[in-house]
Amino acid sequence: MLAFIIRRIVWTIPVILLVILMTFLMMRLIKGNPFQVTDRPVPPSIQRNLDRKFHLDKPWWEQYLYYVRDVGRFDLGPSLVQRNQDVNDVIKEHFPTSIKLGLMAMGFAIVIGVPLGVFAALRHNTVLDYTAMGLANLGFAVPSFLVATLLIYFFALRLKDYTGLPTNGWNGPSSWVLPVIALGIYPMTYFARLVRGTVLETLQQDYIRTAKAKGLRWRFVVGKHVLRNSLIPVVTAAGPVLGGLITGSFIVETIFGIPGIGRYYVTAVTGRDYSVVMGITVLLSVIIIVANLVVDILYGYLDPRIRDERA
Amino acid sequence: MSEPDVVSSEPATKRRGRRLKGGPLQTRRTEFEDTLARTASARGAEAGASLPRASLWGDAFHRFMKNKASVVAAVAFLALLAFVIIVPFVSSEDPYALDFSQAYLSPSWDHPFGTDQFGRDLFIRTALGGRVSFAIGFAATFTIMVVGIVYGATAGFLGGHVDNALMRFLDALYGLPYLPFAIMTLAVFGTVNFWTMVVALTIASWFTTARVMRGQIITLKQNDYVRAAYAAGAKGPRVLYRHLLMNTLGVIIVFVFLELPGVILGEAFLSFLGLGINPPKASWGTLAQDGYTAYQAHPYIIVIPSLCIAWLILSAFFIADGLRDALDPRTKEA
Amino acid sequence: MALLEVEDLRTYFKTREGEVHAVDGVSFEVEEGSVLGIVGESGCGKSVTSLSIMGLVQSPGRVVSGSIRFDGRELTTMSDKNLEDVRGKQIAMIFQDPMTSLNPTLTIGTQITETIRRHMDLSKSAAEKRAIGLLEEVHIPDAARRLRDYPHRFSGGMRQRVMIAMALSCNPQLLIADEPTTALDVTVQAGVLELLDDLRRDHGMTMIIISHNMGVIAETAEQVLVMYAGQVVEQATVIDLFDRPEHPYTEALLGSLPKIDEPNPRNGRLSTIPGRPPDLLVPPEACRFAPRCRYAGMDDCNKVQPELREIRTGHWVRSNHPASERAAEPVGAR
Repeated sequence: MLAFIIRRIVWTIPVILLVILMTFLMMRLIKGNPFQVTDRPVPPSIQRNLDRKFHLDKPWWEQYLYYVRDVGRFDLGPSLVQRNQDVNDVIKEHFPTSIKLGLMAMGFAIVIGVPLGVFAALRHNTVLDYTAMGLANLGFAVPSFLVATLLIYFFALRLKDYTGLPTNGWNGPSSWVLPVIALGIYPMTYFARLVRGTVLETLQQDYIRTAKAKGLRWRFVVGKHVLRNSLIPVVTAAGPVLGGLITGSFIVETIFGIPGIGRYYVTAVTGRDYSVVMGITVLLSVIIIVANLVVDILYGYLDPRIRDERA
Repeated sequence: MSEPDVVSSEPATKRRGRRLKGGPLQTRRTEFEDTLARTASARGAEAGASLPRASLWGDAFHRFMKNKASVVAAVAFLALLAFVIIVPFVSSEDPYALDFSQAYLSPSWDHPFGTDQFGRDLFIRTALGGRVSFAIGFAATFTIMVVGIVYGATAGFLGGHVDNALMRFLDALYGLPYLPFAIMTLAVFGTVNFWTMVVALTIASWFTTARVMRGQIITLKQNDYVRAAYAAGAKGPRVLYRHLLMNTLGVIIVFVFLELPGVILGEAFLSFLGLGINPPKASWGTLAQDGYTAYQAHPYIIVIPSLCIAWLILSAFFIADGLRDALDPRTKEA
Repeated sequence: MALLEVEDLRTYFKTREGEVHAVDGVSFEVEEGSVLGIVGESGCGKSVTSLSIMGLVQSPGRVVSGSIRFDGRELTTMSDKNLEDVRGKQIAMIFQDPMTSLNPTLTIGTQITETIRRHMDLSKSAAEKRAIGLLEEVHIPDAARRLRDYPHRFSGGMRQRVMIAMALSCNPQLLIADEPTTALDVTVQAGVLELLDDLRRDHGMTMIIISHNMGVIAETAEQVLVMYAGQVVEQATVIDLFDRPEHPYTEALLGSLPKIDEPNPRNGRLSTIPGRPPDLLVPPEACRFAPRCRYAGMDDCNKVQPELREIRTGHWVRSNHPASERAAEPVGAR
């Protein structure tokens, strides 16, 4: 098992390198060399800085290697637009907010979605099942910008006097509620449907019949046999869910005016702050890759058959 | 952003797949199912007539039709399609005329969807926007399918080292965040038009298709009839085309309906972030973005195109579900 | 009073096309300490019968009518809670496929001790000790260490032994074994059957063994029930059944067994029973075996269903043409 883990970790390195390479290449494709040709004239002092930092006199693959080395040192270069800031500063300033938002949204999604799915599966083909899944499907289909807008519309405008939930900014718990819900609805529906599926499938299995034949109490069977086996796929689903959270955060942060990294990314792209764009992209990629790694390892730990296969 | 899929970067063979991928999860036929099956065939025999030659598609079609949810979804989908195709031909409104005196009218008989800030009729604009969204959607889905199928089928068919290398590379690509790369692609092109949008949407979306295709090909490759074809003298490409690809057609069709909503939603997201198709051409996404600025006073401007998107997503999803059940020859729970 | 008394049990399954009469009026008794064998082909209702006894028939099936009395108590009207007390403790069941019948993510130690702790008031360590004892009783070597193993670490035969150990863990009065050897290698089958026999004697258990394999029945059962199309068609002691079978179906079953010593009258070909079992959706009013019976005549066979009658002491048959009455029929009489 340890050998597997090590092998898996080692394998992420070329993946990260590849991602950086692709990002780097894309950046270079944007109107020639983006670090020289920007809309705004770049003052000579900055230009010298950039030349040094990015080794612009060297061939592109050398530049790439330098960049990789810098990434390894966690040095993502200076911002092209905010003259006094490094990309790292930008990240430090905005990223924690996004992380908080993302984690809370994920928490919301799991806490609401998983029990909903289990409940729907246990009450399979009843009105409750159909209602729950109907709602889940609705939440799945409606684009998050509409969800966010509707939330703001109802809570901030119509019900303002009753709830007083702020719809802008990120200060204090009450301002977290609406954005977390807006961001968390889509993953919540994902989990609800996934869990319902896995629970239904588990209920069909022979070993559940065996458990019943042994006279175990039904609640016990559900808690011990059914849930355990049904929730394993939920862990592995964390990967795509994370991707969805990142995407969703761009929208939600924009709408709710939350100073996170998603909102900053869009500003950076339209403002042609390419080093920031690259830095954030690399950061997000690394997060996804690490998350997938953790999920992979966790999955092996949870399912004994895989555990043995890997040993 | 497609249907729940258990995806991790583990090689596909070790993954617990959903029914489409690789081998199905084995369920032992119970005595009861035996009885049911025999009941059905016995009845056929009693009827006297010999069992008609059932074709795969005919059978699937009938099964699909029996599924109420799928039929409703199909009707809804076609209705939406009809809306976007027919309305611009039929309506007398000019979608591009600016008339500020008519600005921000609520939905009425004259303007079923109201008007926007420029006084343009939203009914026809929504329909036209739908055309753009659908066009982008189909084009991007098609591209995703082509790329995914070529990549996956190559990997699956050739197997061995090639397969290994291709799959490792694919695993690496999974680390690319979808939206940032779509955004960057648009930045690379510098402008957002139909084609650049299609490319941007394809870039980070074809991975699942490739993986599923590979899984399908690998499973089918092991089937005896493939070996029989080789034994009869068929050459590689012919085997690939006739036997393998034709049999995966069903899977491909299901995937089309799964990817389409994701792609259209992606386009909507990009538009909403300000990276949509340039005006005056509009898509549902750009219409929604337009509406966002005025949602407080005139919520319908953002609600309507968003609901169109939701309508599309829901109907496509249920169609995909129904297709999947219809093409799966095994009987499900009663 | 027999330990188990089943009277006119009917279990039907609701399907889209109607109700399937899986078990249609089955009655029998099992005396304490005896072994009842139930034999019949797939779909005849034998498994459903045993599931009905345990109350494990899942929707869309349900016990429609009839009585099942165990140790004097009526099981069909028992609350779920009380049934849960009976299951595992007084009546235990082992199933056909030991691979899928065990939870792959729990150690077998957990799966055994959870049963023990459910029905007996034992601490965890006491339960574990008992589990180890049980594993040793079913001849699993290195029991203490194996307790921590997962099911996939065991071979098929050993898994079945684990199932047996689980079933015996609370000293049930009745053990129902549903096709216990069908999924096992032939070489392993004998061992499992022998084990069952030994354990039964050691624990003084009553047993019902279900199989489609006449050999298994011949070896283990004392009383035999032959089922066909949801009904009991013959019942006798095992010796009497094999020696002098009465029902044409039983004869055909025994006749279709390949014999090493006797010359086969059909030029060395295996004899089979032509035709297929009837549609249980609309069971025929008449004798259900008639379409396949070589003795079926123009008489009541196709009009009225024969009753189960005692043709000899302890030998019951449901047929218009049982073997002992056939010899008396003059040839050519119709």
